[in-house]
Amino acid sequence: MASVTHAQEVVVHPTVLQEQISRNTLRAIFSKRLQNWPDGTAVTVFVLSDRSPLHIAFCKQILNVFPYQLRRAWDRLVYSGTGQSPIEVDTEEEMRKRIANTPGAIGYLPTIGQNDELKVLPVQ
Amino acid sequence: MTNLKCCPFNKSFEIKKNLLVAFVLVLGISSPARAGGISLPDTLQIHGFASQGYIHTSDNNFYGSSQNGSFDFTELGLNASFRPFSGLQLSAQILSRRAGKGDEGDIRLDYGLVDYRFYSNEAMRAGIRIGRIKNPFGLYNDTRDVAFTRPSILLPQSIYFDRARNPALSSEGVHLYGDRQFAFGDLYLQIGAAYPMVEDIETERAFLINDQAGRLDGKLSYIGRIVFEQDGGRIRLGLSGAWVKMDYAPGTADPVGAGTIRFSPLIFSAQYNAESWSLTSEYALRRIEIKNLGAIPDREQTGESVYFQGTYRITPILEALVRYDILYQDRGDRNGDNFSLQSGLPGHLLYSKDWTVGLRWDIMEALMFRIEYHSVDGTAWLPLLDNPDLSSTERYWDLFSILLSYRF
Repeated sequence: MASVTHAQEVVVHPTVLQEQISRNTLRAIFSKRLQNWPDGTAVTVFVLSDRSPLHIAFCKQILNVFPYQLRRAWDRLVYSGTGQSPIEVDTEEEMRKRIANTPGAIGYLPTIGQNDELKVLPVQ
Repeated sequence: MTNLKCCPFNKSFEIKKNLLVAFVLVLGISSPARAGGISLPDTLQIHGFASQGYIHTSDNNFYGSSQNGSFDFTELGLNASFRPFSGLQLSAQILSRRAGKGDEGDIRLDYGLVDYRFYSNEAMRAGIRIGRIKNPFGLYNDTRDVAFTRPSILLPQSIYFDRARNPALSSEGVHLYGDRQFAFGDLYLQIGAAYPMVEDIETERAFLINDQAGRLDGKLSYIGRIVFEQDGGRIRLGLSGAWVKMDYAPGTADPVGAGTIRFSPLIFSAQYNAESWSLTSEYALRRIEIKNLGAIPDREQTGESVYFQGTYRITPILEALVRYDILYQDRGDRNGDNFSLQSGLPGHLLYSKDWTVGLRWDIMEALMFRIEYHSVDGTAWLPLLDNPDLSSTERYWDLFSILLSYRF
């Protein structure tokens, strides 16, 4: 398990206008504090389960936080009525489909390269 | 019964508790066994939790007749949030809590609020909340009844004491909030003006010694919290404060006069989060001023609390905890000597020093089991209603607890 240092990419719906994203902004989005893209579109965040190796790798390598910290932040929002949690999907395939079908969506996937359905957002 | 007096919303939420149990179970079972909750449309979420605890004490009672072992500790909650359009969120949570005589499972509205974010860009957000809002206090108060979000079965009682807890939970009013990213970290601010919930018996006993003929009225009060986070929460530093005012409205032929109580707590919070361990400490000062209450003499006293807590994640699903937690009800009388002289009651009612060790096992993402042991010197946070005869409380006592919690 430790052997696979998953290469992951931040993936968004193709209509998202941004061409790149900073780590701080990405953290604000995945901790559910930043809820809109600059053009006003709502951000819909998709994640895999806390225990998924891809989720763990994404948290640690891209966001530079530990998965338990994100979970705590979401719990604070959800159980105090001050925010919502991301939408949890079961598989990478479901992640791909949901992002492709939801304007404003963001998530992460193993390296996919550019394609028409999804847009890869380089992290600065 | 005890809580019914306290909240104006309660009457409408006096649905049978069983209904809530049924809701939590039905919704919980119908959702996949994961912590993601139920996702309906992407903008509507429903979440909930159900916890059952067991408590056994060597002496003194904590949540029921715990000296014989007590299952009188249940927490059930159900919440919904809806974002009809970007920037606006409506949320509410109903809660039923059984914890000894102080809390008998009545269903109440924990929060019910409208949140409008009027400013948002990549580096900064600001908004307003109106309604019944959880009090932003310390690291744990906002979600204190959700077992998954606590570091232990019982929160450090020096600061999050469950006796006279109602004023701490939520209040009705308006809050402004914001967060901003700087190069050195993120800053979160929340300030509010609200009416505290103080009209229950335990709160009255905590401030006025006994359940008096009249009642306490919450007056417009203020609360605020500022939190600084570095590196996405690796370091968290917080300062919370409140200025709470309540008036006493005497009953008929009441020896207690129409006086005022001011309560102003201040909490400093610090936390460091590494991958496999976290260190947490909070320090609190609680100033109480009682004036013009007739039969109850004027009083000014400052309580002091501190705890140090370490958690270690042995494996991703197993976490160990050790904590030392100290409470002084009156820092001018730490050992309770003066109190004992004046009241004839044991001095240990004014302090508590609690060593806690515990283990958390996340059986599944949505199911957690906990076991915990407390060795306590002092009785300052014993629930008053579970211990009607304070003169017979024991200074040294142990508390053992297990808890099973489910959430979705």
